[in-house]
Amino acid sequence: MRDTTTAPLVQVDGLKMYFPIYSGILRRHTGDVKAVDGVSFSIQAGETLGLVGESGCGKSTVGRALLRLYEPTAGAVVIEGEDIAKLSPEALRRKRPTMQMVFQDPQASLNPRMTLADIISEPLVEHTDWNADRRLERVYELMDAVGLNRRFANRFPHEFSGGQRQRIGIARALALNPKFIVCDEPIAALDVSIQAQVVNLLEDLQEKLGLTYLFISHDLSMVRHIADRVAVMYLGRIAELSPRDALFSKPLHPYAEALLSAVNEPDPSLARRPRIILKGDVPSPARPPKGCNFSTRCPKAFARCHAEKPELQEVEPGRHVACFLYDAKPGSTGTTEAPANLRQEHNPQGEYQ
Amino acid sequence: MKLKTALLGAACALSFAPAAFADRGTDGEVKFTFPQAVSIMNPFLSSGTKDVYASSLVLEPLAGFDADGNLIPKLVTEIPTVENGGISADLTTITWKLLPDLKWSDGSPVTADDAVFTAAYCMDPAGGCAQLSKFDGVAKVEAVDASTVKVTFSAPKPNPYTAFVGALSPILQKAQFAACQGAAAPTCTDPNNMPIGTGPFKVTGFTVNDTVTLAMNDNYRDPAKPAFASAVIKGGGDAEGSARAVMETGEFDYAWNTQIPPDSQASMTAAGKGEFVVAFGTLVERIEMNMTDPDPALPEGERSTAKHPHPVLSDIKVRTALSKAIDRQILSDVGYGAGGAPTCNVVPAPAAWASDNTGCIAQDMEGAKKLLDEAGWVPGADGIREKDGKKLHILYQSTVNPIRQDFQALIKDWWTELGVDVELKAIDPSVFFGGDAGSPDTFQKFYADVEMYANNSDGTDPETYLSQYQCVNAPSPENQWQGENMNRYCDPAYDAKVKVLSTTVDVAERQKLAKELNDMVTKDSMTVIPLVHRGTLSAHSNTLGGVKINAWDSEMWNVADWFRVK
Amino acid sequence: MLTFTLRRLLLAIPTLFVISLVIFLLVDLAPGSPMSEIPLTVPPEVRKKMIEALGADQPVMVRYVLWLRQFFWVEPATLFDGWFGTNLAGGEQRILSWQSRAPVFTIIGQRIPQTLTVIGTAYLVGVLIALPIGIYSAYRQYSLFDQLGTLFAMIGFSVPTFFSGTLIIIIFAVTLGWFPTKYDTNLAVTDWPSFLQQLRQMAMPVMTLGLANAAVISRYMRSSMLDNMTMDYVRTARAKGMSERVVVLKHVLRNSMIPVVTVIALGIPSIFGGAIITENLFGVNGIGAALIGAIHASDLPMVQTLAFIFAVLIVTFNLIADVLYGLLDPRIRYD
Repeated sequence: MRDTTTAPLVQVDGLKMYFPIYSGILRRHTGDVKAVDGVSFSIQAGETLGLVGESGCGKSTVGRALLRLYEPTAGAVVIEGEDIAKLSPEALRRKRPTMQMVFQDPQASLNPRMTLADIISEPLVEHTDWNADRRLERVYELMDAVGLNRRFANRFPHEFSGGQRQRIGIARALALNPKFIVCDEPIAALDVSIQAQVVNLLEDLQEKLGLTYLFISHDLSMVRHIADRVAVMYLGRIAELSPRDALFSKPLHPYAEALLSAVNEPDPSLARRPRIILKGDVPSPARPPKGCNFSTRCPKAFARCHAEKPELQEVEPGRHVACFLYDAKPGSTGTTEAPANLRQEHNPQGEYQ
Repeated sequence: MKLKTALLGAACALSFAPAAFADRGTDGEVKFTFPQAVSIMNPFLSSGTKDVYASSLVLEPLAGFDADGNLIPKLVTEIPTVENGGISADLTTITWKLLPDLKWSDGSPVTADDAVFTAAYCMDPAGGCAQLSKFDGVAKVEAVDASTVKVTFSAPKPNPYTAFVGALSPILQKAQFAACQGAAAPTCTDPNNMPIGTGPFKVTGFTVNDTVTLAMNDNYRDPAKPAFASAVIKGGGDAEGSARAVMETGEFDYAWNTQIPPDSQASMTAAGKGEFVVAFGTLVERIEMNMTDPDPALPEGERSTAKHPHPVLSDIKVRTALSKAIDRQILSDVGYGAGGAPTCNVVPAPAAWASDNTGCIAQDMEGAKKLLDEAGWVPGADGIREKDGKKLHILYQSTVNPIRQDFQALIKDWWTELGVDVELKAIDPSVFFGGDAGSPDTFQKFYADVEMYANNSDGTDPETYLSQYQCVNAPSPENQWQGENMNRYCDPAYDAKVKVLSTTVDVAERQKLAKELNDMVTKDSMTVIPLVHRGTLSAHSNTLGGVKINAWDSEMWNVADWFRVK
Repeated sequence: MLTFTLRRLLLAIPTLFVISLVIFLLVDLAPGSPMSEIPLTVPPEVRKKMIEALGADQPVMVRYVLWLRQFFWVEPATLFDGWFGTNLAGGEQRILSWQSRAPVFTIIGQRIPQTLTVIGTAYLVGVLIALPIGIYSAYRQYSLFDQLGTLFAMIGFSVPTFFSGTLIIIIFAVTLGWFPTKYDTNLAVTDWPSFLQQLRQMAMPVMTLGLANAAVISRYMRSSMLDNMTMDYVRTARAKGMSERVVVLKHVLRNSMIPVVTVIALGIPSIFGGAIITENLFGVNGIGAALIGAIHASDLPMVQTLAFIFAVLIVTFNLIADVLYGLLDPRIRYD
């Protein structure tokens, strides 16, 4: 499935997104919320990468930082050979048409004081020199593409249903022919009956337009339906990154295992996995545990897990796991600290402290 | 430059010569500022001093008072007396002779009919005339001829200089006010705001509660006056702002009633643009003792009435002790600075009428303590004096006013030192002075042991003022709590002396009687404890000449003589 | 929208009647008497006569009904007569101030221009200062500018106008001598010098009030901007690749203005209400100074009429604010 011969469309390297905490009378910088703490992955053109995890694990932050809707703290995001994280504001703005986002809450993401036509055509005004007729033509085209009646062009967002609004959101994202779309929980706010329609629409569009998706969701069954590969995140880090089928049939990381045990198996003929109930709460991202982020709740944790952070490494072809259970060289505890620090700058797929 | 102007100003004021040579209308505009804005220019419909003073630029009485309280003719040839035949021997009539060729500002002649009309206007029962008391005892006002006005009293009137005398009782033009008599009086907005007068100025513009603009009266009787071609009175703000506009920024020439704290007086004077002047009239800040029992346990209708004498203050020793414990000099300095002086009299001025009573000025704490000991009030365990198991407790009320609250605090300290438990109370002035019979907090009801406020005698002759302390004038449920004898002081000897005063003609004798009456309520009985003789503090610019502060008439009584110091 | 407005107007009528009665009773029950300003030297009989002449001794309901009749019939009729030379009012007595005996509406008519020019300008200046401060403070939240803006707002909020006004007088009038401390009502603006003089005499009251107004509105603007700044549609706009100027001024500002415009509209009645302290301090003979003067003198007809006019204005501007909200925000429909 993965075409390893061509360069990936999106290459993320050691992405970190820290939100500073100011406290005290003088509002001193006293710490950081490490929402994303060193995430690396790549997405091939035409591929859909699913990004799953509990709420608060940083998956939406990854999506936003990827498009530089947040200023990433560190790391590189190379899309089509350009590092988004380092572009000047103006260059970034010109780059925007190639990468778009579909937001979770279609109501909130649409300006309530603009009509549908305005919302969809605004980026055209900004990024093309088309005249009004041409833009309107494009608006109609997009409305057709997402299945909205052309009569609705002059209505305001609040006049639509949730599913229709999300179609507007998609049409808007498509307006400039992007290559890469981050779908940030695009169906979470929709009725179940509408969810399938929107996912199918996204799939159809991908097929027709050759789009590349980063599909962020906490709905594992929906991810299983749409994604080619899936990354499982826990507390700002990727725990496992594997092809979909491999992951769903045999999760390697203890967290992935626990997470997937909660999914209803659609095929009753397959033996149902025993449900794994995790104990305790997710630690605060402002104060992650010293060792593996999952060590506080991991049923299989051992001494090393509490001392060192595991890196994401390929343990089977195409399968990357950040867990010492799969470490080829167990027992290197005593010497890890310094080399781990040294490696930071060089290992593109690594997980860092 | 400043010094030079100041010196020049002083020199001019001293020499007083330029006024005589100034021609009418050559000195531009004179600008007044009043902390309270002028509401109406008709003093018969308002007794507010601001309104009376403003109207005094336009309306004139037949006679007025000079700075020393002497009568001076204004629209008449001379002051009528028994000697010159102007007052009848039986004291029932007074006859005024108008100046010849006297004209209203509209050019029409002033006649005796105008005075007759004015009397009728004020005495109309439906008119609500604020100066009705000026016509007390007037039986008839008639025009003997076009220039002779004869006032007949229903009984001999030893002091007949009330009607048509002073700024409170000027002459209105009949032609202008003919349709405004009785119930129609308040509705005559235009005449009330722009009355035609005989004074040095005439109204050219009137904005209610804001500005009055005036121009010189071309028909004023002295062709060389006034020196100013126009005048403007801007009202509103506060005393501080008015004082500042004269003393610091120099925007205005004259500010009336600039009563500000003594330290502000000093700093504003230091700016060198003007000076404060004080008019000492008869206003006295005093503590009145309640001679009746205000105990809330008494049934309503008997509280603070003659039925129940005050259980503590009925003893003159207690009253005297309370007076002795007070340092009046400190009160005066703290509260009024140049605008006040300690006094022991309810009639502090004019000098000829004031008793030489100064015994209370020096504070005597030891003497006061001794008196209380003698009265049987001895200090208890907590330092509060007791007698027969009862604590010496005093409820001391006054109005909400920063100076009065300072006074209350100081006096409370002194009385506490004396061993008196003092409870303070401050009441909104509009309630305190409002006279609402339904309110328990009016100064007439006097539901307290002592109360502090200021009162004054109207004019130079204190007869009416002193007669307030007669028994019959005590407020009570029977008279709907009206009456001016707040103390419920009742001494037949006093009432008898008041009667004698009302029939005495000889001025020296009247003055003697007045002093005796004054002493009876103050040092003899300690019913009234006078504290501070209060003046009206006004400010005038160094460039304004001719100002002679006057407490007995309008402060602008001689505005025709004012001029610009050049 | 039209039916909504009409319905609200109809509903306002009984509301205003109740308000007028409540105000009348409150004003009447308030302690104080029109006689409290009269010197003690005036004898009680004369005081009683004066009260009778004012009609103040009538029972409260009689006075209320009379006032209603004067307010809703005599005054409009007098106005109509004044315009068309008719005689509808038939010489009936208008509402007269107890203090000055002048018709209350004449006094209000004399005073409205000053209040509108001075207080209105102060409001406008306040708004014009507040909006940019609020916008930029929110855009650069926690920056130095924002901190200074917060300080400015705190000063404007917490320093009472009698203090800031006096300070301004001492600085600009006493020390620098730039501006007059007393407002000259009779100044007629006819040419450049008189216009400049008008500006000079307005400067200090406008400064005093503008500071207070700007403080309030800038806070509203800032918090409204902050609310909208984090909305998804703003992120959408950024994702669309719109420039920052467009994102802030078009997307964020236009949505943030909705509540702010409402607040501004609701503040307008206070312009008519004047500014009691500021007007008094600078000698501006506006409505506020009239109200406080009338309250001091227990001038019931004046207080009652002014309070009721304020009530009418407040009800009206509440309605206007609601209608504006509907016009500005397409999500809100009243039908």
